[in-house]
Amino acid sequence: MNATVASEYSAEVHSVPIEHRFNPYSDNGGTVLGIAGEDFAVLAGDTRQVVGYSINSRYEPKIFDVGDDIVMTANGFAADGAALIDRFRNQLKWYKFDHGGKKLSIKSAARYIQHLLYGKRFFPYYVSTLIAGLDDEGKGAVYSYDPVGSYEREQCRAGGAAASLIMPFLDNQVNFKNQYEPGTDGKKKKELRYLTLPEVLDLVKDAFSSATERHIQVGDGLEILIVTKEGIRTEYHPLKRD
Amino acid sequence: MPGLSFDNYQRNHFLTTKGFGAPTATSTGTTIVGCQFKGGVVIAADTRATAGDIVADKNCEKLHRLAPKIWCAGAGTAADTEMVTQLIASNLELHSLLQNRDPRVITALTMLKQHLFKYQGHLGAYLIVAGVDPTGAHLLSVQAHGSTDVGKYQSLGSGSLAAMAVLETHFKEDMTKEEAMKLCADAIESGIWNDLGSGSNVDLCVMEVGKDAELYRNYLTPNVRSQKAKNYVFPRGTTGVLRENVRELLDIEETVVTFGDAMEVDA
Amino acid sequence: MNHDPFLWGRPSNDTYGAYNHAIAQASVQEATHDQLDQFPKKHTQQPIITGTSVIALKYKDGIIMAADTMGSYGSLMRFNNIERLFRVGKETVVGISGDISDMQQLHRILNELETDEEVYDNDGGHNLRAPHVHEYLTRILYNRRSKMDPLWNAVLVGGFNDDGSPFLKYVDLLGVAYGSSTLATGFGNHLAIPLLRQLIPNDTDYVNVTEEQAKKVVMDCMRVLFYRDARSFDKFSMVTIKDGGKGFDFEKNIKIDNQSWRFARDIKGYGSKQE
Repeated sequence: MNATVASEYSAEVHSVPIEHRFNPYSDNGGTVLGIAGEDFAVLAGDTRQVVGYSINSRYEPKIFDVGDDIVMTANGFAADGAALIDRFRNQLKWYKFDHGGKKLSIKSAARYIQHLLYGKRFFPYYVSTLIAGLDDEGKGAVYSYDPVGSYEREQCRAGGAAASLIMPFLDNQVNFKNQYEPGTDGKKKKELRYLTLPEVLDLVKDAFSSATERHIQVGDGLEILIVTKEGIRTEYHPLKRD
Repeated sequence: MPGLSFDNYQRNHFLTTKGFGAPTATSTGTTIVGCQFKGGVVIAADTRATAGDIVADKNCEKLHRLAPKIWCAGAGTAADTEMVTQLIASNLELHSLLQNRDPRVITALTMLKQHLFKYQGHLGAYLIVAGVDPTGAHLLSVQAHGSTDVGKYQSLGSGSLAAMAVLETHFKEDMTKEEAMKLCADAIESGIWNDLGSGSNVDLCVMEVGKDAELYRNYLTPNVRSQKAKNYVFPRGTTGVLRENVRELLDIEETVVTFGDAMEVDA
Repeated sequence: MNHDPFLWGRPSNDTYGAYNHAIAQASVQEATHDQLDQFPKKHTQQPIITGTSVIALKYKDGIIMAADTMGSYGSLMRFNNIERLFRVGKETVVGISGDISDMQQLHRILNELETDEEVYDNDGGHNLRAPHVHEYLTRILYNRRSKMDPLWNAVLVGGFNDDGSPFLKYVDLLGVAYGSSTLATGFGNHLAIPLLRQLIPNDTDYVNVTEEQAKKVVMDCMRVLFYRDARSFDKFSMVTIKDGGKGFDFEKNIKIDNQSWRFARDIKGYGSKQE
C-alpha cells in the first residue's frame, strides 16, 4: 500500500505542509543611518524597539562594534539582525584564529557579509544592513545591503523604518543634490566636499529628531558610533518619547 | 430606496485583487478618555493623527462639539468622526429648536448609534460622548457598529489599554473637578508615551452642571520639538532659474504730466 | 466545487476523480515508518492550552516577577493551578507565557541546562546566571522558528549579571529579544507596562525604587490585568530575587487585593433610555 499525500490531479503533488499560519517574521521598527567622511565614518540608529503599536524597549542598542574597527547594524526584524551580527562576529573570530590575528579589511568584511546574506536567499534575513569603518587608505567607508546581499559602497545611506524620510535629506545635505552655485542660473552644481565630523554629527542629530517627529516607530534615543583612526567612540542623545 | 447599496462591492473587491484597493484614510489612531466627577464630566484626547506609520498631523483636534454643553471625543477614521459628529450636531440643534428644550446627551447618543448601526461599521467612528443636560452629567461611548456603553470612566482608541490601566488604578468615586482633570490628563499621557498611535499634546474639555463647558485646547504640551542643530536656509540662487517668462496681461500706459516748472528740490 | 453539505469545499468528483481522504486527515494508519516522510509534517500551528501575561521589573535590590496560575483552553478556564515561574540555577527566574506544553518542554530543557552547568561542570567559580540562560533560550527559540516549528511562548528572564547588577530580558517565539527595566508579555505589554513605566520612566531609574514600591505596582498591574484581560486569573505567584541572588523568595497563591466592583451598583442599561 502506497501512502500518498498527492491528490488525484497530478500537477498538485505536495510534499510540504499545505498551510501554515505561523509567520516567522516581525517588524521591529527603528531606523539607522551611516555617513562616511574623509577620515572617519559614523553609524547611527535610534534605540527604540517596537512591535505593532507597542514599544518593546526604549533602549535596545542595534549598532555594534564587531571588531577590527568595523561597526555594523542590521535593522528590520530584530531576531534576524541579532543572528546576522552574531554570525559575522563569530566568523571574524575564526578568521583571526586561522590567520594569526590578521586584521580584516572593511572591503573583505563587506564581501563576506554578502555571502552571509545570500546564503539565506530563500529564507532571507529580513534586515537592511549597514557597516562603516575606514578603508585601506584610511578614508571613511559605508557599505549598505539589501536583505539578500546586494551591496554597494556609498558616501551615505539611511535604512529601516524612516529611510524614505531621511535619504532625500541626506542626498541634499551630503551629496548636495539639487543645490547649485548662486548666480550661475542652475548651470553649475554646488561643488562636492567632504563634511567635517561636527557637521556630520549635526546632520545626524537633525535627521533623527526630524524622523522622530514624523515616524511613529522612531524615537527614545539616538546612539552614534564614530570610527576614526583613534578607534571607535559612542555618543548618546535623547529623542522624544511619544 | 432606503438603506445601503452594495452594488459596487464585487467590483471593488475585484479592483482590490488587481492592486487598486481603496485609499487608506487618515486614522486618529488615538487615545481618548472620559471620566465623571462630582457635579460634572471631563473628556480628553491626544492630538496625533496618523496615516500608516507616518504622523499626518501633530496637533489635530479630536474633541468635537455636538451641542454647547455636549462634547465628544473621536477615535477611528478621522473623516468619519468629523462628519458624523457635524451631522449629529446639526440634527441635535434642529431637534432642540423644535422641542424648545436643551439637547440631552442620550439624544445625541441615540442619534449617533442609529446612524452608525445603519452603516454596519463601515463608518469607522468610535466616540466617547459626554455632557451636561437638564437630567445631569453623563458619560457614554459608542462604537462603529452602533453598540453603546455607560460607565463612570471610559477609554477608546489604540491607546485605550494604556489609558484604562491608569483609570482602573486611580479612579475614585466623587472626585473634584481638578482630580478628574488630572486623572484624564494622566490617562492620555499614558497613551501618548506607551502607544505609538498616540502622541503630542493633551486636549481636555470639562462640562460641569450649571456652567458653560470649558475647552482646554493643548492643556498639556509635553512634546515640544527641540532646537535643530543646524540652520537650513539656502543662499538665494541655490535653485537655478532655468527659464523666465513674464506675460503682460494688461497694457499699462503711463503718461507723466508736468505742471509748470519742475519742482524745486532742496539743496 | 461540491456543495453537498457533507462534502463541502472538496473538488467535485466529476472533474478531479475521487477525493483522496489522506490529504485532509493526513492519516498514517496504513503507512509504514519510512512512508511517514511523505506526509505533511505537523508543527505547532497554534497554541492550545495557554498561560497569559508575565510581568517583571527591576528595583534597587534586584528583580520581581509575577504571573497568574491559569491555563486556558480557548475561552475555557481549563486549569487554575499552573505554575509559570521557574527557578533556574541559584539566582535566576524564568517566567513563561503562551503554550503550556511548549512551556513544559522549555522547563525540561532548562533543567537539563542546570544539571549540565551546575552539577557536572567543574569549571570553578563560573555560575549559571540569567544572561546565560537568556542567551540559551534565545538560541533555542530562534532556531525553532527558523525550522518553522516554533515553541509558542514569550519568556522573561530575571536575575543578575556577573557584576551583581540586576538583569531582565525578554525573548519570544520568533527569537526577538530585548531588555528593559520594565517588561511584560502578552496583554501585560498593553496594560501593565504603562503602570510599570510610571514608576520607572527611564531604564536607569530602577535604582530609586524600593521593594515596597515595586510590590505595590506589581499588585496594581495584576489587578488591572484581572479586570481587563479576559484570560487572566485572580491568583498569582511572585518571585523576588535580591542582593545578588542571596535572597530568593518564591510566593505562591497570592490573591489580588483591593478589587472594586462598586461601579456595578450604579450603572444601569447601555444608554438606551433615560435612567
